[in-house]
Amino acid sequence: MTNTAQTIDLSLYAAVTEAVQAEARKVLEAGIVAAVVGWQAGRRKGTALPAIVTDPAKAKELIFSPACVNNLALYLTKAKKEIRAKGKIAIVAKGCDLKALVGLMGENQLKREDIHIIGVVCPGVQGANADRAQPLSETTIAGKCRECTVHTPEGADVTVGTLPQLPHFTPAESEELARLEAMTPAERWGFWKEHFSRCIRCYACRQVCPFCYCEQCLCDRNRPQAVESTPRPAGNMAWHIVRAMHLAGRCAGCAECERACPMDIPLNLLNRKMAKELKELYGFEAGFEVKEKGPLAQYREDDDQSFIK
Amino acid sequence: MHQTKTHAFEPKIVAFVCTWCTYAGADLAGTSRLQYPANTRVVKFPCTGRIDPVFILRAFQKGADGVLVSGCHPGDCHYMAGNFHARRRFAAFRALLDFIGVDLQRLQFSWVSAAEGGKWVEVATELTERVRQMGPMREFKELESEEQWSGVIDTPELKEAYNAI
Repeated sequence: MTNTAQTIDLSLYAAVTEAVQAEARKVLEAGIVAAVVGWQAGRRKGTALPAIVTDPAKAKELIFSPACVNNLALYLTKAKKEIRAKGKIAIVAKGCDLKALVGLMGENQLKREDIHIIGVVCPGVQGANADRAQPLSETTIAGKCRECTVHTPEGADVTVGTLPQLPHFTPAESEELARLEAMTPAERWGFWKEHFSRCIRCYACRQVCPFCYCEQCLCDRNRPQAVESTPRPAGNMAWHIVRAMHLAGRCAGCAECERACPMDIPLNLLNRKMAKELKELYGFEAGFEVKEKGPLAQYREDDDQSFIK
Repeated sequence: MHQTKTHAFEPKIVAFVCTWCTYAGADLAGTSRLQYPANTRVVKFPCTGRIDPVFILRAFQKGADGVLVSGCHPGDCHYMAGNFHARRRFAAFRALLDFIGVDLQRLQFSWVSAAEGGKWVEVATELTERVRQMGPMREFKELESEEQWSGVIDTPELKEAYNAI
């Protein structure tokens, strides 16, 4: 039975906010870190935006609320070199963000000793199109949070908050995935064609993804040009296939691509599908444990080859 | 009088092959005078590990009806492990293509060694005949010919904004 009236108790967020502020002040004052990457309140009520705090006096500006949707791991990748240049950085991370950090460590983009992770227990964040004034419930929570398995991050330097009893939400994304898998290939093609045809190729999905840190993207190259860069249907299809393929076995499932997409393309469905396939094929799953190599960067001699003649 | 000409469909097959095994195998098929359909366009690569999934995509976009990827048998790779890595990559890519809605019957992977001229003929013939039965690959070509941004603007917010202008 689904009950949309079920809401998540907001008292945890206030407690976590205090703990994050205290921890940020502590590490900044002690000189353990040069900066803290966290969230601060946005100008409109019920919003938040990423913030980089270097002054202990400003640690009190940090917050944690259901509006803290951004995956801050992005701020530690090659794409934002100036932040890493400051020195050791503390970062506030939800479970899904921590998985992204762990993935980056596995790819030698980050060193564990160079960052101080403030893990936050997270019951869920708001969806991209949710009404900010509404309480966090089945209708306003982000799709990824409805079936989150990493509410409590593990392996952070300090983890704040205790997880309250959470209402049970129906796993919308898994259900959608199952629905698509049950379709015929032609129906699936129709489904994706319709979604991808809306793509305006703003590359927001790429910009917001912590794993898209290549200095030059294959899709920006025009000599030779592998993927068309104008938003024509053929190029859009190719771009999204390339994106999903490059994230296969790496994606941490933070669903930032889907949140940032202005055209509401269900990109996380693709990521979720690839994660599922790689788990079935090679037993790999993104988690809190740093793995030296992802599933597509290694092999076993007895891998399945039933599809090869 | 006016006579309608009917074209028999001839499938275009693009074969991405590794230079050390399958290319030599296909060469052997030629020097052994083995007959197989002339539909296969062979593209030679140093190793199957070099074959990016985007090449397969590109082949389909540019008019291939079927794609064959072929390399050395496991353990025989000239670069030790190129084909092992390729095997995982293609397993994942197949799953992705299937999820997007591409019929995987048009995509064939195989291991053909330099001594297997006969197997090359068998694989190439089988794929060609299968694709001939299936008819042309329309999906990617249709996308390619769609020039316009074809998104349908039907969200209530956009409609409201439009009406407010």
